[in-house]
Amino acid sequence: MKKFLKQFALGLLAFIVVNAIIAGIYEYPTYKSVQNKTNRNYLKWEAIHNNENTFDLIIIGTSRCYASFNPSIIDSVLNTNSYNMATSAQDIAETYYSLQEIFEYQKPKYVVLDMFFEASDETYDYYQTFSNSSFFNSTERKFNLINEGYGNTGLLNYSIPIVKFKNYIKQDMAGLFSNNKSLRKEDIWIKGYLYDPITVSDAQISNFEPIANFETSSFSKDRFNTYFNKIKELISSNNAKLICVRTAYPPTRLELTESDDEATYFKAYLAKENVPFFDLNDFKSDKYIYSDQDFADYHHPNYKGAKKASLQLIEALKQIEN
Amino acid sequence: MLFNSLEFFIFLPIVFGLYWLIGGKRIKAQNLLVAIASYVFYGWWDWRFLSLILFSSLVDYSIGLALGKNEKPITRKILLWISICVNLGFLGFFKYYNFFVDSLIDSFTFFGSELSINTLNIILPVGISFYTFQTLSYTIDVYNKKLEPTKDFVGFMAFVSFFPQLVAGPIERATNLLPQFSVERKFDYRNAVDGLRQVLWGLFKKIVIADNCAKYANIIFNNHTEYNGSTLLLGAFFFAFQIYGDFSGYSDIAIGVSRLFGFDLKRNFAFPYFSRDIAEFWRRWHISLSTWFRDYLYIPLGGSRGGLKMKIRNTFIIFIVSGFWHGANWTFIIWGALNALYFLPLLLAKKNRVNTDLVAEGKYFPSLKEFGQIAFTFFITLIAWVFFRADSVAHAFSYLQNMFTLSLFSEIEVFPTTILALLLLFIATEWLGRSGEYAIEKIDFMKKPIRWAFYILLIVLMFSFTGEEQQFIYFQF
Repeated sequence: MKKFLKQFALGLLAFIVVNAIIAGIYEYPTYKSVQNKTNRNYLKWEAIHNNENTFDLIIIGTSRCYASFNPSIIDSVLNTNSYNMATSAQDIAETYYSLQEIFEYQKPKYVVLDMFFEASDETYDYYQTFSNSSFFNSTERKFNLINEGYGNTGLLNYSIPIVKFKNYIKQDMAGLFSNNKSLRKEDIWIKGYLYDPITVSDAQISNFEPIANFETSSFSKDRFNTYFNKIKELISSNNAKLICVRTAYPPTRLELTESDDEATYFKAYLAKENVPFFDLNDFKSDKYIYSDQDFADYHHPNYKGAKKASLQLIEALKQIEN
Repeated sequence: MLFNSLEFFIFLPIVFGLYWLIGGKRIKAQNLLVAIASYVFYGWWDWRFLSLILFSSLVDYSIGLALGKNEKPITRKILLWISICVNLGFLGFFKYYNFFVDSLIDSFTFFGSELSINTLNIILPVGISFYTFQTLSYTIDVYNKKLEPTKDFVGFMAFVSFFPQLVAGPIERATNLLPQFSVERKFDYRNAVDGLRQVLWGLFKKIVIADNCAKYANIIFNNHTEYNGSTLLLGAFFFAFQIYGDFSGYSDIAIGVSRLFGFDLKRNFAFPYFSRDIAEFWRRWHISLSTWFRDYLYIPLGGSRGGLKMKIRNTFIIFIVSGFWHGANWTFIIWGALNALYFLPLLLAKKNRVNTDLVAEGKYFPSLKEFGQIAFTFFITLIAWVFFRADSVAHAFSYLQNMFTLSLFSEIEVFPTTILALLLLFIATEWLGRSGEYAIEKIDFMKKPIRWAFYILLIVLMFSFTGEEQQFIYFQF
């Protein structure tokens, strides 16, 4: 038995070493980018923490959101000082705790929240989640997001690098069998907005799939409902106004979609909740006509799409003001 | 509780520690611990159904004792039938009630009349088909005087509910497992290390192979009208490895965990996809079920001893019942019948026991003939798997109809390179390790650092390629 336990302990040690190596491989670039002040999430939180009570419009959501709304366009028309706090694969629980942190440093008049099925599902990209929350100043909030937002699995994922970085390991392993090793030029960020000059290729368009619906996504109504109500309450208690938007999809995908559950569900839900909702796929569609070339890929707008989306948001905000 | 869950990774070391702390000489206390742990393991899913296992254990234990005391053939027969009726009664009610009602209503509708019977909203108790067959084997063996009835109820409870194999097998024979509960278990280092290794391989099969193949099998099967023939063939291929990885993975974990506790379970899979004919496939696939049906159904029916008619009848009975055992759906029955059709020519030509040795033993590659035989057997198995996976018979026929078109030779539309590369690695490992009980059993020939690097690679792959969590397919059976 002793020998067996010794071997088992050795195995555990090997597991810890492997995790340490993985943490080193994947955490180090983040560490370096924070040191060099180039990490995009770090810079976003720096802007919030270091410029107290400056921003009156906060835009928040997933990467679809940070690729859609350009604060410089919005501010030039509305004379606001807005900031795009959307981050990659942002889950709705993360949105809630991020807003808590934001309200501690800012007094925004409006919060624009992106509605997206995949932001309220049961599959999370833990690395994205934790890399974002890592920049909260409040340790308690950080813990709450991990523990309450994701439960025991959250804690486990936070402590085991091999799980935390699994999507990155998988991606890198897949890269071994793929020739598509495209290099991305250095990104341009404007007040949290990603200026993306890439245009989707015809080959990518031919592979477009319908927009995820209840069947093809793991959208959780319960999770959405729980955190949406928390967000609504938090915004209202801070005397701000919540505005919900659904950012645009390439028209080819919309054509392929037989039943747009995402649009139908959010429209009905937000009408019931009495929260203004603007689906940019059809809001003022006579004036703002999207083409597939307004996108960088299957669901992220490029700078051309972002211009349209930003102008639509301006119109939406004006409509609310009136 | 699932083997691939956090709960199990906490549960197992606790039970393991307590079990060996009690020590091998205190057999009764160890058996009690195994029984309690098994009930906790099962109750984690739904504690209400523990009463079923307990009742089944009580009935078969009592009938076993009564059979031991009674020599009158008629009384013994009655006792046996009570056990069969109780066990199959539960199984029939929970698993087949709605199927029979629906089929009856359909038949009446077909002949132009209407029948009004309500179906019930019945929850299928996990693993009922497995533990029912296990307890039945005890009563039948006691009836046939192959086994002395046990007087140790706790040991018997532990045998019926033994947690590593309770919900998805292997279906253990009382003659093999029950006596192990009455002898001292000694901790054996080699056995335990081998057990852990088998658990690791089983987890890899389940998490990396089965769950990732499931993702693509589901996409292709659920949208089969949108894909060309070659993609549909790939869909069937993915399902073949999904079910193999899932079920044989579970068996490996079950056998491996049992070894940690000093128990030796029967082998359930022996590299079935390297079979050279369908008879060999059935000697290598779900061995514990096929041998159960062979011993308790096929042989009592006369086996292959009778005339042509009897051979045909018995072959169809055993395969159709085996299909029906998997689920209350016509798709499983057709799957069974199809396998009977594959098997029958071999039986009638007396060629069903030609390939009993290890394919290409001692060689790295099979001969061209062997390769052709393996490919053909695998292909006809794929066709049968389409029925097994399909939601309905119409779905299966439509799938096959769309598959066997000229588009079978066109470019594959869904081609997940990484998953296919992992499958290739998996098949190569299974091929190289086919002389062992499981693929990596004989890995000891490697130097320690290489061996450990291989284990670490498996673990990294497991964590990185965790698919969307899929429950073990055989739980539903």
